[in-house]
Amino acid sequence: MPELVTTAYSDQAASLDGTLAGMGHVRSAAISKFEETGFPTARDENWRYSDIKQLRGQAFSVAQKPPSTEIPDAICETAARLVLVNGRFDVERSNFGDLLQAMSIRPIANHLMANNDRANELHSGSDALTVLNTALMRDGLVFSVPAGVEIEEPIEIVHLMSGADGAAAHVRHLIELGEGAKATILERFVGDESTYWFNSVLQARVAEGAALNHYRLQTEGPQAIHTAKAVVSVGAGGNYNACNISLGASLSRFDAEVRLLVDGANATIDGVALAASRQSHDMLVHVDHRMPTTTSDQVFRTVADALGKSSFQGKITVAVGAQQTLADQSFKALLLARTAEANAKPELEIYADDVKCSHGATIGELDAKAMFYLMSRGIDPATARQMLVEAFTDDALERIDNASVADAFRDRIKSWMMAHAPTQLEKDVA
Amino acid sequence: MLTVRDLRVSVENKEIIKGLSLEIKPGEVHAIMGLNGAGKSTLANTIAGRNDYEVTAGTIEFDGKDIKDLEPHERVGEGLFLGFQYPVEIPGVSNLNFMRTALNSVRRYRGEEDMSAAEFMKLVRVKAAELKMDLDMLKRFVNVGFSGGEKKRNEMVQMAVLNPKLAVLDETDSGLDIDALKVVADGINAQRRNDTAILLITHYQRLLNYVQPDVVHVMIDGKIVKSGGKELAAELEEKGYADVA
Repeated sequence: MPELVTTAYSDQAASLDGTLAGMGHVRSAAISKFEETGFPTARDENWRYSDIKQLRGQAFSVAQKPPSTEIPDAICETAARLVLVNGRFDVERSNFGDLLQAMSIRPIANHLMANNDRANELHSGSDALTVLNTALMRDGLVFSVPAGVEIEEPIEIVHLMSGADGAAAHVRHLIELGEGAKATILERFVGDESTYWFNSVLQARVAEGAALNHYRLQTEGPQAIHTAKAVVSVGAGGNYNACNISLGASLSRFDAEVRLLVDGANATIDGVALAASRQSHDMLVHVDHRMPTTTSDQVFRTVADALGKSSFQGKITVAVGAQQTLADQSFKALLLARTAEANAKPELEIYADDVKCSHGATIGELDAKAMFYLMSRGIDPATARQMLVEAFTDDALERIDNASVADAFRDRIKSWMMAHAPTQLEKDVA
Repeated sequence: MLTVRDLRVSVENKEIIKGLSLEIKPGEVHAIMGLNGAGKSTLANTIAGRNDYEVTAGTIEFDGKDIKDLEPHERVGEGLFLGFQYPVEIPGVSNLNFMRTALNSVRRYRGEEDMSAAEFMKLVRVKAAELKMDLDMLKRFVNVGFSGGEKKRNEMVQMAVLNPKLAVLDETDSGLDIDALKVVADGINAQRRNDTAILLITHYQRLLNYVQPDVVHVMIDGKIVKSGGKELAAELEEKGYADVA
């Protein structure tokens, strides 16, 4: 990696000194670590399929607030709408609804200022991108739902990148659910055509009997690099339910690390990625079953067209003594063209003997018989393909607990098919 | 309505239909009988436009129009219907959504307006009841978990909803018990009108007891070797293909 890139990030970290209370030594520790390790390469197991040579070759400056931007329309009814523009919380454009009566939402700066030790509690990360996020984080939101409080409607976080050519946003969100609390976070990622890098870390703690739904809709601009990490811990009988949709960006990565820390903790992590030409979508999951009777289930469906690439790495670990763990994982990839690429790497590490763990991975093409059957009933090839792809991706949307979120995701998948299907049409008919 | 002349069809470079001619007029029911491997299903699929079946010679005219270069969905728009020997299971696509999309695709092809959801449901309810098909089955995924007989009845519901000019029914009678066979036969007879035609493809005479054909053809090795009235079917049943042909 060019020295210049490392030096640029070291300078950025230094320039951020004093911006968030208590972060000084946390930043310097992180940047030292980054200077030592640098960006990962394809030789690193977790980075086999994400080609980040662009990150290695170019230092992204700190994104500045643009003069003006248009905030995307809502996709469903929400309890609140929180907007970050180029990685900075934009309170003017945000709408808290009535939420502040039931829970607390505040910028991470306020959270850290209230207590100097809090910076030390942040997840500093082991992979280079999380480490860099720790060194360069500037903003983010802290959500805290008190015990017993249930927030029904989704809380939407809109991440908008605009006019940030050559710049990056390193965002950190914290989510804390008290005992028996319930909330739905809907993260959206939107951007323009500029070449920017969005790098976020979301940390969540789900207490005993609490339930966090975490839905993500990634529709970044076509030149964007989107790298996101979720670090989640779940307490006794708690639930973490995630569904990630990757549609945009040239390179996109969603990496979920979920720790089931106490008996009866449960996680479902699902996702859909649709990669058009020259897009690369990577989804990584690591579910760590630490204690007995913890359960997890993953359903991932990816579609790749032309020179698109979709990859999945799913790891399940079951600790010594974590008996009666149930863990399932299903990955299916659909290639719409022979030039498209799909990678699957399921990984199971099991150190307990009384467990039920399963995984399945398949990579295939659209079923020619089903295509002909639909066409033989008068349905044109583009619509037939769309129906089959929707049916295929629907498996991963079934667990979404909110009908309007699920419908919005389906709409996006449909639009993607309508925009990308015609390239393939001739081949089906030929 | 359908005129096939000197048709030759290859599948994976192997010639299956070897010079076949056939003429079906409005109001007629034709039956093509033949042993396995005679090319009956290939003929049905070729008429429907399956793209891996290559027409190497001959013509297929439907309603005076050469349909050889039309795509499968366009042929349906023109008024063709193929009943499958093995209806395909499509997980994730509901039967109702499938049929409504199909019907509206055909209507659009003909320059007609989409049918409203309410109107469509009314139509489907009637057609399903006629074919003794439980409405719940229509809400399920296309053919998934259906028994053989249910799949064939589902084909008949689809035919009734699309109301084609010409229905080509490929072994629609196979795998049916006698009750299901009668229901399916009723469905076929309901489609039999002065302005429609039906081409039945079958192994056995059984279905022809319930749907009386006007013309019976015997197909052997990619060709029609003999044609006659409905008595030909009985003769085949009695004497076997070798003796009749």
